[in-house]
Amino acid sequence: MKRFFNKTLSALRSDAQLRVGVIGLALLFLIVIFGSVIATHDPYFYGPDSLAAPGQNGHLLGTNHMGQDVFSMLVYGVRTSLMVAITASMISGVLGIIIGGAGGYFGGKVDVVISELINVFLLIPTFFLIMLIVSLFGSDIRNVMIVIGLTTWSSNAKLMRAQALSLRERTFVKSAIALGETKLQVLVKYILPNGIFPVVANTTRGMAGAILTEASLSFLGLGDPNVISWGQMIYQGKQYITTAWWITAFSGIAVIITVIIFYMLGDGLNHVLNPKYSQGGK
Amino acid sequence: MKKYVIRRIFSGILTILVVFTMNFLLVKSAPGDPIKTLMGKETDDPVLRAALEEKWGLNKPLHEQYLSYLGNAIKGDLGTSITYNRSVNDMISERLMATVILGLSALLISFLLGTAMGIFCARRDGSLIDSVLSTVSYATDAMPSFWLGLMLMIIFATKLNLLPSQGMYNVRAGYTGWRYVLDVAHHLVLPCMTLVLITMSGYFRITKSSILQVTNEDFITTMRATGMPEKKIFNKYIFRNAILPTVTMLGISVAFLITGVSLIEIVFSWPGMGRLTLTAINQRDYPTLMGVYLVMNVSVVVVMIITDIVYALLDPRIRYD
Repeated sequence: MKRFFNKTLSALRSDAQLRVGVIGLALLFLIVIFGSVIATHDPYFYGPDSLAAPGQNGHLLGTNHMGQDVFSMLVYGVRTSLMVAITASMISGVLGIIIGGAGGYFGGKVDVVISELINVFLLIPTFFLIMLIVSLFGSDIRNVMIVIGLTTWSSNAKLMRAQALSLRERTFVKSAIALGETKLQVLVKYILPNGIFPVVANTTRGMAGAILTEASLSFLGLGDPNVISWGQMIYQGKQYITTAWWITAFSGIAVIITVIIFYMLGDGLNHVLNPKYSQGGK
Repeated sequence: MKKYVIRRIFSGILTILVVFTMNFLLVKSAPGDPIKTLMGKETDDPVLRAALEEKWGLNKPLHEQYLSYLGNAIKGDLGTSITYNRSVNDMISERLMATVILGLSALLISFLLGTAMGIFCARRDGSLIDSVLSTVSYATDAMPSFWLGLMLMIIFATKLNLLPSQGMYNVRAGYTGWRYVLDVAHHLVLPCMTLVLITMSGYFRITKSSILQVTNEDFITTMRATGMPEKKIFNKYIFRNAILPTVTMLGISVAFLITGVSLIEIVFSWPGMGRLTLTAINQRDYPTLMGVYLVMNVSVVVVMIITDIVYALLDPRIRYD
């Protein structure tokens, strides 16, 4: 445990992007936890001043057409964004690891089928598929998260498959097989834990993608109307863009900051975990 | 090489089939009964129901429905829009041109600008302008494209009043000839600029990193040691090797543009396929939605396969994989 802690600390010290990412993510979680304290108004409350400019009547970043406080909505929107990011990319990461790991490790016919499946999913334009499914099955936020997860696993699977293919040939795996461990045991005990690192970094980048996808869906009117999401705020603000720019502008900036935090985290993890990047260059 | 090409084409055909089947199954398993919608809420006449099922072929077993849908799609018939009662083919082909104009112009400009900037910054790695551009490319990568479009609209259309923000041409003026072309170009600036800003960062980064990578290779060091002029090394050896990955990027960004252009079209009311998609979503017009999706999918697959083959032609290492 102490060794793990020390390793984490030295990784944080060595990579600035990782440092920024971790601090940013911690801040986002703090905003989620203390959301009700930070928010100056109840974001669900339809106040009397609609389309108030930033600073007017104690509304830090103004209000929207329903009189909801934009700043408080942004604070509560962190919750939705993190939830979408984490759930969707967890599903996509786990699926990718299982599918890719199985293909690379078992090889043979299994791998032929799996790698063809990965190729097919890499070629499919995911956003349109997600859009189609959400518009058919309803835009409940749970639906959105699951669908994003189920359609974006292919890049994770590709990485994991390559890892499993190379790990399979390594001595420690071969000796485990020689010692009589079953195929499944080897897969779970040696291949997955050793090959998982590039997938972790990719999944973190995938979180950023999930946030952008959710925002785009909301912008098309396919967001969940029962939750506060930044994409939805941009969508609603679009109609008032010429008079009340603040609704759209600030919610977009919130998206950008969050996405950059996840990019930093993903790139930082990639530098730290991937031995290919640890020497030389950025 | 031949084997590789055949394998990629096989993957492409398989992808289209998978997408097609998924499309079919999704619509079949979606909640809601199309016959009920056609009959209206109040009527529940079994005779009418049977007649409608007969007319739309919904009384046949599932696999027969699938095969007839597949057969029609192969013949190039994408069905009939529920809301407009018009052929989906006609609706798509009417709007294809606008999308192609916007997509192609954005592709060309972002490719040229992004690659040029990548080369420029790779030769000045670590300089002030390089770090500024790198930061900006990081930020544009994180931006929702439609948001950037809205912001540019506020700045250039609302505040500065320089550019038109909506549509493809001035409806009131009714220009013809050259004046019309200029008018379209004028309307094209904002949506095109948005797409260029969003897609440019990909070219910028990939060009820059691949030039830096090639520059650090041993054969370049050897050439430097022989005293070959720096200019010749760059033009003849570094550039040629480094430009390869941008080919892949070109394919990826065409695939992105085919779908990504939709959101921008919606922001700027550009009369392309994106607007069609939006109305289809809002009115739950599934045949149109599926038709648009199928057309986009086939285009993306074709582009990606061509990219892979071109790349394999240029870089023999891929073929022997």
